Amino acid sequence: MTEAAYIFILFFAVSLALGLLVGLIHSKALARTLASFYVLVHIAFTVYCWMHRGETVLDYFTFDTLGLLLQSVLSILTVTTVFHGFIYVSNDSPRTYAIYHAALIALIASMTGAYFANGMTTVWIFVEATTLSVAALIYHDRTAMALEATWKYVFVCSVGIALAYIGILFLGFTVRDARLLHLSFSSITEIAKLANPLYLKIAFVFVLVGYSTKMGLFPMHTVTVDAHTVAPPPISAFISTTLMNVGFLAIFRIYALFSATPILPFMNHVLLLSGFLSLLISAGYMLKAKHNKRMLAYSSLENMGIVAIALGMGGIGYYAAILHIILHSFAKAGLFYQMGQSYKIMGTYNLDESGNYMNLYPAGATALLLGLVCITAIPPSGMFISELLMFKAMVANGNYLYMAVAALLLCFVLYALLTRVLHIVFSEPRTQSLKPREKVNPWQSVSQFVLFGIVILICFTQPAFFRELINDIIQNLPK
Amino acid sequence: MTLMLIIVFAISLIYLSVTERFRIYAGLVGLQGLLLFGISFMQLDRITLATVLFVTIETLLFKVIIVPYLLFNVIRKTGVARVHEKALPSFYSLLMVTLGLLLSIVVSFSMNATPYNLMFFIVSFFAIYTGLFLIISHRKIFSHLIGFLVIENAVLLLSLAIGSEIPMLINLGILLDIFVSVLILGIFVMRLRQQTDDLTILKDD
Repeated sequence: MTEAAYIFILFFAVSLALGLLVGLIHSKALARTLASFYVLVHIAFTVYCWMHRGETVLDYFTFDTLGLLLQSVLSILTVTTVFHGFIYVSNDSPRTYAIYHAALIALIASMTGAYFANGMTTVWIFVEATTLSVAALIYHDRTAMALEATWKYVFVCSVGIALAYIGILFLGFTVRDARLLHLSFSSITEIAKLANPLYLKIAFVFVLVGYSTKMGLFPMHTVTVDAHTVAPPPISAFISTTLMNVGFLAIFRIYALFSATPILPFMNHVLLLSGFLSLLISAGYMLKAKHNKRMLAYSSLENMGIVAIALGMGGIGYYAAILHIILHSFAKAGLFYQMGQSYKIMGTYNLDESGNYMNLYPAGATALLLGLVCITAIPPSGMFISELLMFKAMVANGNYLYMAVAALLLCFVLYALLTRVLHIVFSEPRTQSLKPREKVNPWQSVSQFVLFGIVILICFTQPAFFRELINDIIQNLPK
Repeated sequence: MTLMLIIVFAISLIYLSVTERFRIYAGLVGLQGLLLFGISFMQLDRITLATVLFVTIETLLFKVIIVPYLLFNVIRKTGVARVHEKALPSFYSLLMVTLGLLLSIVVSFSMNATPYNLMFFIVSFFAIYTGLFLIISHRKIFSHLIGFLVIENAVLLLSLAIGSEIPMLINLGILLDIFVSVLILGIFVMRLRQQTDDLTILKDD
């Protein structure tokens, strides 16, 4: 075994040991200390993985560029999520405090495994593990709504993962040799070139539908919307960003592997269909939603729709898709942390009961406005660049009708988000909330400004190494 | 013999889609586990202690004993015996699953599969269809759980069509899935029953 393999095993052994320690010993101080230590371990592991870029460990994992990029996003968001988690669960009993942090460690480790998995089956196992760990976190508040959302999440994700598995099995049929069924991505490339296109099409559709539960894309988007509504805000931030990235990664890897086969136009059409339907649904429901976090959940659906459309467009759209998924992670995480703070200040997530936020908590209101600019891709948001590149890909392909439809749907989304967030920030509440209000230290909002700052910075300058990394990810895709 | 077991599996799916009593649901899921044990066993090329042990644990222990036991346990504790009164009448259910069976046959034939795999394909597709049909057409969460278990059985059946030796990693994956379905979902069914039987709290307005 190589040194990297030992480090890899060590990381998961440490994750397991810390998770068990935190979960079994119900002590808040211990949980806080070990969770903080785990954040450092995760960052150190990410740095180590970068130093061994391209290396394969234990046959089943590879430190490839896409995995490393998403792992880095996870490391950054782990810092902020653990920090906001400490605040959110500070008044909990030692038992729920411990369960929360044990499940969080399990979730982070599972996502890390999924990012670096180099085979379909390995990805599938880690995706299943994320479902189990995130279920405990969604159910954290132990309410009837939390129970319903957790049930729906576990159930639909399990069905989705089973469907994705059927897609993987269809790849197996093309191999005709069960021993190759761990389906490493390198072996799939060779298999796919010789395979019956019908099998590949079926495999792709099943994988897309199955992993759309994780990516929060149409048709299995409903569960993530419900999960966002009830999960603790730091966890909503994770579900909406790094966990959606897991789903994206699984779909993207299959797409990249099949892109050299004759089914490329078919995959593009399926992605476009899924993307536009995601946009349509998000635009419609965002206008209807009265729950602030639910509104952000539909915004995630909209952004995943944009990623799918960009991917389906091809060309410069590939670059746009990767850029968008990274920037969306920072912008959406910041917004969900802010939603958690707004709940403390206003005592509600209900839109009608929300309002006057600028007077109640100016730092939070400013962060919310900045987050609104970022997520709606209004310049100077970096997401403006990714959406612009998506439209550029449409022009390059001569898809003017697609462009018009996408622009129209994005206008609805923009209108819905602007009117609702501006109401929360500046207007008086339509009805009064009966829940008690708390105070928030403005220092707790610093992390959100940092995350939004990253998104804005990318609008002005994309460092050369960052561009090279994205180009490295998409280099094997058709031009 | 394998063919006969697969046909019995298909018949159990038809019965599952028209029956209304949860005890029969649980019994049929157990029967399907037994049939899958038989099919898995006959698919084995080399009979080693490890493969026999794994097949036995995966099918006989989990699908025939533990899963039905937990399902009967859920029925006893929740006191729910039948599907929702407004559920689709059996006649229409039968029409729908017949349509599903025809659809499965058409799709399977269009895939140019070998004659041996063809039957696996037809019944697996039919099982996926029936599982999804149970989830969509029924309101009670217990029916949803049964629908999910049927889809899991379809996955196992489809994986058996690939080859005699399923890699250990896939076996572990399937076991993990069963763990999720039975333990986690079983617990939630019981907890949900205490509070609500319909999943309608979360809404957009």
